[in-house]
Amino acid sequence: MDLSGLSELRYVKREDGEIKIGALTTIGDLERQVDNSAWAKFLNDVITKFGSPNIRSLATIGGNICAASSSEDLIPVFLALDAKVKTLRKSGTREMLLQEFLVAKRKTALYADEILAEVSFPEPSGRAACSFQKLGMRNILIIALVSVAVFLETDDSRSNIIQARIALNRLKGKIPQRVESVEKGLLDKRLDEHAIKSAVERLGEELTLTSDFRASSEYRCEAVKVLLRRALVDCQQNILGK
Amino acid sequence: MNGKDQALVVESTERLLDVLRDRLDLKGVKEGCGTGDCGTCTVIMDGRLVNSCLVLAVQARDKKITTIEAVGTRERLHPIQKALMKYNAAQCGFCTPAMVLAGKNLLDHNPSPSKEEIKEAISGVLCRCTGYYKIIDAIHDAAKEISEVKT
Repeated sequence: MDLSGLSELRYVKREDGEIKIGALTTIGDLERQVDNSAWAKFLNDVITKFGSPNIRSLATIGGNICAASSSEDLIPVFLALDAKVKTLRKSGTREMLLQEFLVAKRKTALYADEILAEVSFPEPSGRAACSFQKLGMRNILIIALVSVAVFLETDDSRSNIIQARIALNRLKGKIPQRVESVEKGLLDKRLDEHAIKSAVERLGEELTLTSDFRASSEYRCEAVKVLLRRALVDCQQNILGK
Repeated sequence: MNGKDQALVVESTERLLDVLRDRLDLKGVKEGCGTGDCGTCTVIMDGRLVNSCLVLAVQARDKKITTIEAVGTRERLHPIQKALMKYNAAQCGFCTPAMVLAGKNLLDHNPSPSKEEIKEAISGVLCRCTGYYKIIDAIHDAAKEISEVKT
């Protein structure tokens, strides 16, 4: 069944302090949302590494999320944005957190007669900094060996971190998930070299990443630490640049 | 369809690629992988590049489709086609229709792209012969020629 004609589910809007994205919005549609905000930069980070322009013309946000695969790049980004989803069926709509929607690898909470309608997340404040880092065998049209998405928000004086959400993919046997112990370690700290170093170390202690023909678990565990460092340094520059 | 209305009854499972090649005889559309990886079946649908192997024919209803057959004529080649010849940027030629369309679609939206933007625009089309540099140079050159003609 082809849903692509349902233009009602193809939108990006700002409403009630949230950014709402219709499930049939294509990746290419998002690419055209030029905006200087932290969330737009975040989405842009992932979109420019997503498939190829040809693929982005057809691939939708909803399709990507519902695939619920362990290699998905958009899912870590939406997890870091604290996204929730809205589903739609004849008898009504449901809302749930993205974490709850993603039940297991290749399995979502959708009923047989239900579709994903919308993904939304709270509009980040001007004190937010985000970064998405992906490692693949080349730059484009490539599945991630591992990806990391980081969302940070600092206090009013732009010094201490008051919110941190870090999500990654390629976890062994799992869909992309947040790493809460690493997030907690960053709270109430300045994002300096010391904080970055200890976050990277903590991530190294935490993880079991998948092993497959593309890369070993050992390689991924080393690589993911580098990606987290790059993401945190990128956030640091965003914060300092403001 | 290349500027003309086209009425067709299609099966629900027919791919746009097959309808273009086998029923409309537009053989410039090539099938490479058939799984959306190589981009050699690229066409422009409503101003966006798509792999026609991933589009069902019914999904193309009421859409504007451009294939290589509508780009330039033998007597009046599109500037990208001329530039590809000048730079010797085609070898086996299998990806060339898709490369021309990817370049054309870029220049339609962005008349003076950087080389990085050209790389990005053609990144969904694989070429196993040229190493891409000549193609990138050719599209860059064609952009300059088009803007000179306009000014």
